Amino acid sequence: MERRLFAIVSVLVALSMLLMSCAPAATPAPAATEAPTAAPAGEIKIGIISAFTGVFSAFGEMQRSGYLLALEQYNYTVAGKKIKIIEEDDQLNYELAITKAKKLIEQDKVDILTGLVSGDEGLTVQEYMKDKDIPLIPMYSAPEDMTMRKFTFNTLRPTWTGAQPMDPFGYWLAKEKGFKKVYMIGEDYSYPYNQAGGFKRGFCRGGGEEVTTVWHPVPMDDYSSIIAAIPLDKGYDAVIYNGAGSDAVSFVKQYLDLGMHKKIPLHGQSNTFERPDVFSMPEEVAEIQAWSPHLVADDLNTPEWNKFKEAYVKRWNKPPSAAAEFAYVCMIMILRGLEKVNGDVSDKKALVEAMASVDLSDAPRGPVKLDKYHNAIENVYIRVTAKLPDGLGNKGVVTIKNVSQFGPYDPDLYMKQPPDDKNYPPDKCSEMPAEMLKVEKEYEFVPFGQ
Amino acid sequence: MNLDKLTRLAKPILLAIGAVLLITLPFYGSQYTITTFVRIIYFGFLAVSVGFLLGQGGMISLTQTAFFGMTGYAIGLLGYERGIPFPWPDLIGIGIVLIAAALVGLVSLRTYGLTFLMITLAFGQVCWAFATQNTTLLHGWSGFRGIRPFVLFGIDFRNSANFYWMSLALFALGLYILWRIVHSPFGLALNGIRENPRRMIALGYPVYWIRLAAFIIAALYAGIGGILAVYYSGLIAPPTIHLSRAIWALLVVILGGSSYFWGPVVGTFVAIWLEVLISQYTQRYLLFVGLIFVIVVLFSPQGILGIIDALRRRYSIRLAERFSVRPAGAPAGSDKKGLERR
Repeated sequence: MERRLFAIVSVLVALSMLLMSCAPAATPAPAATEAPTAAPAGEIKIGIISAFTGVFSAFGEMQRSGYLLALEQYNYTVAGKKIKIIEEDDQLNYELAITKAKKLIEQDKVDILTGLVSGDEGLTVQEYMKDKDIPLIPMYSAPEDMTMRKFTFNTLRPTWTGAQPMDPFGYWLAKEKGFKKVYMIGEDYSYPYNQAGGFKRGFCRGGGEEVTTVWHPVPMDDYSSIIAAIPLDKGYDAVIYNGAGSDAVSFVKQYLDLGMHKKIPLHGQSNTFERPDVFSMPEEVAEIQAWSPHLVADDLNTPEWNKFKEAYVKRWNKPPSAAAEFAYVCMIMILRGLEKVNGDVSDKKALVEAMASVDLSDAPRGPVKLDKYHNAIENVYIRVTAKLPDGLGNKGVVTIKNVSQFGPYDPDLYMKQPPDDKNYPPDKCSEMPAEMLKVEKEYEFVPFGQ
Repeated sequence: MNLDKLTRLAKPILLAIGAVLLITLPFYGSQYTITTFVRIIYFGFLAVSVGFLLGQGGMISLTQTAFFGMTGYAIGLLGYERGIPFPWPDLIGIGIVLIAAALVGLVSLRTYGLTFLMITLAFGQVCWAFATQNTTLLHGWSGFRGIRPFVLFGIDFRNSANFYWMSLALFALGLYILWRIVHSPFGLALNGIRENPRRMIALGYPVYWIRLAAFIIAALYAGIGGILAVYYSGLIAPPTIHLSRAIWALLVVILGGSSYFWGPVVGTFVAIWLEVLISQYTQRYLLFVGLIFVIVVLFSPQGILGIIDALRRRYSIRLAERFSVRPAGAPAGSDKKGLERR
């Protein structure tokens, strides 16, 4: 008995070792990137929590490339003070995220906390930080309530919410493309709910009739039954896949394999066709011309973007992605904020105010400024999948300028609505609250590149 | 000085010093040290639950994290969302754990060894998948967050020092009770079943029911750990009950020494501190923790306590040879007793 138990246990140990070592460490040894140690008195500590290992380590790596580039441009120095970064890995596990946040705040006594990939990480860490004054800058985490219904003064997000790019996209599809009914297949968790919410509001306002939503558990490998259930005779104009990452790769691949794109066109949410996932999709993706909205486009051709891209490619030898650009802009905002207060981090309120009023009109993706809830007002680009000189990617089609997290709505009206979930907003536009169908000022669509 | 007397005195003195250090921790330890110790305690409950089944009953279970999460979800669902006041969600959670453990036990304890392992694995995965995919009640991936500890008799457990003392007291009480259980006739019968269930049946023991009782006791410990975890982290979500956590618990039990009563506690302590310390220097900390695991288990199948035990025995034999007295506790060359085994 003893021996057999031991044999079983040894096998388990070996197995889990394999599991552990399979999770790739996304980063080289941090020693190479840490700031040279300076006099500790003049040191500013920035804590960073991200998914450096585990399934989402690609995101952690992109973020890291982005913020390190910004730090290196400043030579890890602001107003004569050295910047020290302390990086913690949470493997996208929020129990770990909160433990690491506690570690950074309680033990390392960081002055600023940033990083964070997923929405759940963001909400969890914000919940813990809400009675503390240390600034929290989520880099990719997008739940709208972080800068809306659960807004805390110390949260600053110069990036995005889930609904932000989707509202103009929905409006554009209905208004400019004349779509009436779309069939939306989505991952069953909070971020896609928010993306669907933004889409439905825009779509209904633009004159659409119905967004039929279908939700599938995450993660999923085999979509054949879901794809087979798409009704071809109910007059749907398109299918929209509301998911990202490996789910999106599998879904799109199977959609093409089954030849569905010849029967009904496929479009996506913000992250569906995003790099680097799109690199894993079949080449045909460029031919089906799928639309998706985001805050960057891979063929942006502004001086700011080109400058950033050149520096990024030079440093990391690969094209930048949205996650990298977001992290870069977040770090630039932090550094400029620190410059503004002359490196004095003792008054956290002044620091937050300084960061909130930083001029980010030269952000690579286009001008960014923060609204009074500390979320970005910025350009949204509707893009189409294409084969670009540096591989598969997304080519800009239309630009919508100065989109806020509230879309075209009045913030108070918007926040009075329930948070987006599976059941709200309703699928049928006729059931949408009337006040959400009318706004004073609609978006203006500018051809991309003007 | 008589060697026998010295070694006999050393143990209570060391224990007393250890206890005082633990109790006064909030006065000299940093905030994060307290956080780490609270984590050690709640994961310690989980490890003790796994270790009791493995060490005393010879059952490898991969479902203890499910019980760990059940109380958490009960508190999230009833206490946090429905606003039911303090002791009730916790008690209901414990009740759910007991019922679930009885049901799972009734089915799975008909088997031994690998089959038992596979059934518990399946149940743990079912719970995890349910929590992940149920978005209406359990909020899927998001789970419940923002759960705060309670105020009881005017003591605010939101203060981490208070919470630490409560957890420590609970842990000490829990370990004491488990110690008594292990050394009762029931515990001995369980040990007998671990060694040879058929013989125990032949001797007339109700083997099935003894194992079921042990399974329910273990589930209870995991459930209590879950209560502490959900209050302290403020969060219950699917990653907490993922299979990797179940395997982790099994690993720390083996790291500490699965056949020792204190093995799970020592294992949790070492594993969590290793993670905290190594992750400060490298992002590849999991690799190093894993390597240390393998090295320890390779050289000492009885874990860390096995190493200490062997060293102590060798040392006391050498001492005995020099002073030509019998070593404390055991005749030279015998491996009957070192640290309290089993």
